[in-house]
Amino acid sequence: MQTNSYKPHDIAGKFAAYFIRSPLTPVLGIFLLFLGYISLSIMPREENPQMVVSGSTVIIALPGASAKEIQRVIINPLERKLKEIKGIDTIMSVAQDNFAVTNASFVIGEKQDASNLKIYDKIMQNMEIFPQGAINPIIKPLDIDIDIPIVSIAFYASDTSMSPPQLFDEVKNIQHSINALDNVAITNIKGGHKHQFNILVDQNRLSAYNLSLGMIVNSVKSLAYNVPEVKNRTKDNKIVLLGIKNAIDNENDIGNIIVAIHQGSAIHLKDVATIEDGKDFQNYQRAQISVGDHNHTFSPLQDQVTLTVSKLQGTNAVNISNSVAKKLELMSASLEKKGIKYVITRNDGERANEAVNELVYHLVLSIIIIAVLLVFVLGWRESIIVTFTVPAILAITLFVAYLGDQTINRITLFAFLLSLGLLVDAAIIVIENIHRHLHSPEADDKSMDDLMIEATDEIGAPTNVATFAIILTMVPMLFVGDMMGQFMKPIPLNVPVALVASLFVAYIFTPYLASRMLKKKAH
Amino acid sequence: MYKFLLSLLNSKAKKTAMLMLILVSFGAAVMMIPSEIVLAKMLPGKNNDTFTITIDLPNGSSIIETEMLSSCVVTSLQQEKEVTNIETFLGTGAPLDFAGLIKGSHLKNSENVAEIVVNLIKGHHRTENSFYMVQRLRPLITESCAKLKHGTSIKFVEPPAGPPVLAALVLEVYGDDSVVLRDIALKVESIFKKTAGLVDVDIMQDEEYEKYEIVVNSEKITKSGLDIKQVNDILYLAFEGTAVAVKNSQLYDDQIALFVTLQNSSKIFEDNSKKAVLNKLSSIRLMNQRGMMVPLTEVVSVEKTTSNPMIISKNLRQMTAVLAETDMVSQVYPLIDARSEMMELFEDEYEVSTEGLFNLRLVSKKDGARYVLNFDGEMEVTIKTFIDLGAAFIAALILIFLLMVVYYKSFALSGIVLLGSFISIVGVIIGHWIMTMINGETFYLTATSLIGFIALIGISSRNSLLLIDFAKSLINDKGLEKRDAIAFATTTRSKPIFLTAAAIILASMLLVGDAVFGGLGVALIFGTLTAVMASLILVPILLDSSDLSEPSK
Repeated sequence: MQTNSYKPHDIAGKFAAYFIRSPLTPVLGIFLLFLGYISLSIMPREENPQMVVSGSTVIIALPGASAKEIQRVIINPLERKLKEIKGIDTIMSVAQDNFAVTNASFVIGEKQDASNLKIYDKIMQNMEIFPQGAINPIIKPLDIDIDIPIVSIAFYASDTSMSPPQLFDEVKNIQHSINALDNVAITNIKGGHKHQFNILVDQNRLSAYNLSLGMIVNSVKSLAYNVPEVKNRTKDNKIVLLGIKNAIDNENDIGNIIVAIHQGSAIHLKDVATIEDGKDFQNYQRAQISVGDHNHTFSPLQDQVTLTVSKLQGTNAVNISNSVAKKLELMSASLEKKGIKYVITRNDGERANEAVNELVYHLVLSIIIIAVLLVFVLGWRESIIVTFTVPAILAITLFVAYLGDQTINRITLFAFLLSLGLLVDAAIIVIENIHRHLHSPEADDKSMDDLMIEATDEIGAPTNVATFAIILTMVPMLFVGDMMGQFMKPIPLNVPVALVASLFVAYIFTPYLASRMLKKKAH
Repeated sequence: MYKFLLSLLNSKAKKTAMLMLILVSFGAAVMMIPSEIVLAKMLPGKNNDTFTITIDLPNGSSIIETEMLSSCVVTSLQQEKEVTNIETFLGTGAPLDFAGLIKGSHLKNSENVAEIVVNLIKGHHRTENSFYMVQRLRPLITESCAKLKHGTSIKFVEPPAGPPVLAALVLEVYGDDSVVLRDIALKVESIFKKTAGLVDVDIMQDEEYEKYEIVVNSEKITKSGLDIKQVNDILYLAFEGTAVAVKNSQLYDDQIALFVTLQNSSKIFEDNSKKAVLNKLSSIRLMNQRGMMVPLTEVVSVEKTTSNPMIISKNLRQMTAVLAETDMVSQVYPLIDARSEMMELFEDEYEVSTEGLFNLRLVSKKDGARYVLNFDGEMEVTIKTFIDLGAAFIAALILIFLLMVVYYKSFALSGIVLLGSFISIVGVIIGHWIMTMINGETFYLTATSLIGFIALIGISSRNSLLLIDFAKSLINDKGLEKRDAIAFATTTRSKPIFLTAAAIILASMLLVGDAVFGGLGVALIFGTLTAVMASLILVPILLDSSDLSEPSK
């Protein structure tokens, strides 16, 4: 029975007729599943879909100006200029004493690079609007990928002997090695304190020696002077380098600086000031941590230094946070020796992975439930056929999503869950019709292949139109604006793909498998 | 099934009764929304493994005071069994997240702010949902800690389920007179604080506080052989300190600064009186060009003033804003309460008129100055999204109608398909009501419910399509009588219709448990149930009164 006598009218029947005896069909099926698996494993994973939010913050300082002046001479002209840019949604400014902060954000979905450039251009072209004495504007573009860290690690000293600057130095070394990891964009440190020699002058003693603060400043300045090495030659033309050592090495050197001669005896800096090798205490920003143990008792708040890591756009958060965690584990022994402990306080990669895995689990569970339902209603062979179509459809959808530079996130998977109920429909309808035809009295006179093709062909037209109708309902969702629209975008992007895929899979594989697994009912 | 349908189709009274029943249930379901039986919200809360507490002390508070307050909050948090670690960031924002980016956490840099990051044990091992925890802790912590410094605002920020916003409810007050703006904002703040369901109320403006201004007397400075720069530099050096030189280091990564300032004992003021300030200033002496010492107080005087509060403008208009979060309720309903309260309060001094859906416009009775009160924040996003989704829904209906017209070349049949799909809204709304009944807590009609509803139109139109197609072919090819054909087609098609419906319902079952997509799940389950009933009862009845024979053949 090589030729098919039934002539299909619909595309459904034509597909069924072409593939039902083709040796390519199983190869195609395996290939599709393989593509889907590859896409699932290499697509970047995130918790929430990426949103394109463009905008820049402009900071301009005008020392000595009051908030009202700032508003009039900086913000008003600046805002007028920014208003000229196309695509700007809101401009928000804050005028404070001494400085202005203006935030311009674009309509959601505007291209980031172009938007940043527009603002930069506009300000650079109009530098003359700023008043005299204003410090050059700082323009900071907003970049969600780079600005928002995916991992944060808190480092803290395990005993009190370690000073905050020492901890800071250690963390800076760690920062350097983590920054070297693949696809890490920015690493930042929060809560760090630098080394600093603090010269704390006692005003009373200063007055007693009849000295002024200005004299102290001058004498410190004069001694901390650095010069390059001096190069000289010997008689036989050999070079001799003379390095000139900075006179200050430690706090004692500073203390021994002679500030003045008072009644014949030298007054040292240590006579009028306390000198300490300490930290930059004028920096009031601090970070602290309290860690709970297994018994839920917390350590008291102590100083910490937080290292944050952000990723390059379009890279996989899961891989990066894993490699950061691994790197830290490698270093943990040597850190412990130095007396440094750490806690990972944010791990978006892990969170994304968990969210994705949980949803994949839900997806599998749903497929199993549907399969069980079909076993009872249609029989186990039919159930297996329908169940096979689901991974094939999802594989195609995943692959298309991968080609479209999408990521696997919560919303993509919800699009799959949403379409799951819809995409088994086509297969169910085809298999149900085949089932009905096989069990009808006319079945005996027809060949198996003809039956399959006819059954598929019969429901082709309404199924096509109905699927097209569902796709149409999804299309307007693409035009929902604002962040919510961006957030939901994976749904209108992926559901139609899944539905189209479901049609082809139902027409190609369902008759193919059915003709091999199902039998005519004996009459 | 076949007999039931045939008897239904054959009796006019039964048909009318059925149609009436459907119409009544449709009306009842739609009425559930304005009557607040089913509540709408953009997105429900999400169970997170972390949340942030932001602390804002009044402007001019010192880092020591900020630390005291944050320690108080941390002490309360340390009692919690399900907290793994607590981080505090004083004088700055916590490491940035998406919510922080929108709320401006990266711009925080002053002594009076702090952020506390609270990490919880993983969701599966936790007994308490993060939003319940926040709801429980909020009054506890605010009560015990906010009183340490008057005017402190403590806010609880949870990572949002969807896109982040500045706050759940934002009321922007626009106007030209900053003093009046301040007054209006303060009144709104007090109303928000009284409104049930609103928490974490804050006002986007600086508190005015006392400060001293050092006035430099240029004549005296010149006469005493000093210059103004010298005076300013020394003042800064004495109280703030300056890095006067740096030392390069082999040991450390950074250059080491040599930082000069006065000792604490020499610079700390006794209290914040003018006398204390003058007292300290007088001890500082400057050396003039002739090498003589001049006390600082000889050349400057000290005056008491108030600070300049910051000025905020949005889209070129001066503005101040009042923010509030909602406590596990939708922001729509407290908004309506607060709004009517506001209209009442402002009636005395202003002509109040409404603008758009919620916005208010005030015109002063005294001088005719105009002020605009705009609602923004999650509220604004919700309304926009719901309007957009509504438009998407209508567009979907129109597209389907056009598709059906092309396919059937009949307006009546297309109308039937559309009506059959539309009626599933009954199931969606009632489904949310049933879920509220089962859960005992409000199950919100969210944006995802609407997405589910839009998807439903497609699903139920598929059911009607398959049915109509089959009925038509029965009439045209096999020559069955119309009512027989409809009843037979419905009976035959009921199996795949039930099957696909069961598949959708089962697949959506797992969605219901999810915080964000619960609405979608409920909409699909109950909507599909209604859609099945509609295709099996409503569509046959309507088909009966329309022409099914093919005009072209």
